[in-house]
Amino acid sequence: MGELAADKHVKYIISVEKKKDSFESVVMEHLRLNGAYWGLTTLDILGKLDAVDEEDVISWILKCQDESGGFAGNIGHDPHVLYTLSAVQVLALFDKVDILDADKVSNYIVGLQNEDGSFSGDIWGEVDTRFSYIAICCLSILQRLDKINVDKAVEYIVSCKNLDGGFGCTPGGESHAGQIFCCVGALAIAGALHHVDKDLLGWWLCERQVKSGGLNGRPEKLPDVCYSWWVLSSLIMIDRVHWINKDKLVKFILDCQDMENGGISDRPDDAVDVFHTYFGVAGLSLLEYPGLKPIDPAYALPVDVVNRIFFSKK
Amino acid sequence: MIHSKALLLLSCDFATAWNSRKLIVSNKRLLPILMDELHLSALVLSYSPKSEQAWSHRRWVINMIARNCSTLQWIIERESELVEKIAERSKMNYRAWNHRCWLVSFMTREQVLDELKKSRNWSGLHVADNSCFHYRRRLMLRNLEGFCYTQDNNSSGYFVETYQIWKEELDWNESLIKQYVGREALWLHRRFLSMYLIKHMATHLLAVSCQSKPKASVDIDIDSLMDHELCLVHSCSTTIADANFEDFQAQAIHSAAYMLWLTKQIPEYQGIDIQEKLRAGVGDVTRMLKRSCPDRSSLWDYLVGYHSEP
Repeated sequence: MGELAADKHVKYIISVEKKKDSFESVVMEHLRLNGAYWGLTTLDILGKLDAVDEEDVISWILKCQDESGGFAGNIGHDPHVLYTLSAVQVLALFDKVDILDADKVSNYIVGLQNEDGSFSGDIWGEVDTRFSYIAICCLSILQRLDKINVDKAVEYIVSCKNLDGGFGCTPGGESHAGQIFCCVGALAIAGALHHVDKDLLGWWLCERQVKSGGLNGRPEKLPDVCYSWWVLSSLIMIDRVHWINKDKLVKFILDCQDMENGGISDRPDDAVDVFHTYFGVAGLSLLEYPGLKPIDPAYALPVDVVNRIFFSKK
Repeated sequence: MIHSKALLLLSCDFATAWNSRKLIVSNKRLLPILMDELHLSALVLSYSPKSEQAWSHRRWVINMIARNCSTLQWIIERESELVEKIAERSKMNYRAWNHRCWLVSFMTREQVLDELKKSRNWSGLHVADNSCFHYRRRLMLRNLEGFCYTQDNNSSGYFVETYQIWKEELDWNESLIKQYVGREALWLHRRFLSMYLIKHMATHLLAVSCQSKPKASVDIDIDSLMDHELCLVHSCSTTIADANFEDFQAQAIHSAAYMLWLTKQIPEYQGIDIQEKLRAGVGDVTRMLKRSCPDRSSLWDYLVGYHSEP
């Protein structure tokens, strides 16, 4: 079995952070805040969060905040819950969540809950269970979960449950590992996991493991490192992770590394990116690979960060 | 509008650009302008079929149209065709199929049945595309929902028609399973079909036959259904004699997992005979599954243990 080239990955992430003018960077400009979350959380798991300039990052993030209270993907862009969660998560990494006006951010999210309990991503109204997860996770970190109608939110998520035990993005939507992570994570944080048929869902999830040991996101698809996170964290939350072969999954993730330049790709020998680097490292952390900080499967943040939020005296 | 168009052609998920167009269009709300937005997003989707923002923009436009214009049904039909065209080049495109499923809530019952008929050929040519079979399930469920709300004299006729649709789908699925060996999507579709037929339609039969119109009687014999399924599974499991052929091995695994699925889904009240038959088959199945799919040993053990004698 290969090894995790931790130093190479740290160097890779820092180089991506610095390259603001490359074509790749410009084309991804609108989601840079997500990129910050993926990169910085990876650094923290690898124990190297101090490799970046905290002040720089935080001041840039604050500039991404809109007057509505929500955050945009970059300065001057429109706000959306996707970036609002990333902003709050990154601030949590630096233990600086309290520099935010928590009520202002919460109100932005609360305003996006619909009558049926679902959440829109922004003022334009698109509904998706991903946004339910974001709302619940974000408000939980801000300790303002009581500001939304949690019961209704749970009810909506449950309405997205399919006959195979999985969840889609809206009622009747195809089960997808990413959506499942969001629904299970949201239910876990809201204390409502009893709505999940754990055996049925566990079955669907463990059928995601293919011969190579990697995990796919839906039946008949190719394995992809990012599902090492979404499928794995879901299995852990419903306590069925013993139904997959963990060693084979570790080997698959390690095979997806670029051992020369750093970074992790979706599957062996493809081009690397920050997104897959994060999910590969996070997956390895869940698999208890040595030398990595443990990560919380529901909040997708290091466990010590989550503990700090909920258990430190303020 | 010109600037946002240029921007979107280069960076199709640049949400702020799509939003600026929504802002301008909201003030005008004329059909030709809304249609323009559909044209632009279709152009973007022709080379970026997975663009979340492009699909989302289409839904926003259609919601605007639904409020003001009577051309909705025609637009729904065209949208459905668009998805099929895009799905041809972009297999199992989640966003595209999700969009098509979203359209179903706008469809009349006639449109739903029409879609089922029209999309059948395409599905038969894309048997590894789980999304297209999920779409068929969505249509079938929508049709079933309609039946549950029907209170009039035609309810038994509606039921017979619905049952025929289900039975036809099962038969068609079986022919595909035999033709395209080892395709997971086909077996997953069968799980849904059998489960629904046995769990939900059998109970409806009891309710309908009490109102009895002789012409409308349908004989759902659960026993013979199960016998048929067991035969099918048995025939697929025994083709594993030469385990070198990956497709045949996959077929055996999928059929065995299907049988375990049935044992888990059939409620106790369906009768002791059926439980006995299933239990008799389970032993062989488990042995074979553990041999060919050892990674999931814990799962197989658990599922079988679930049904062991108290």
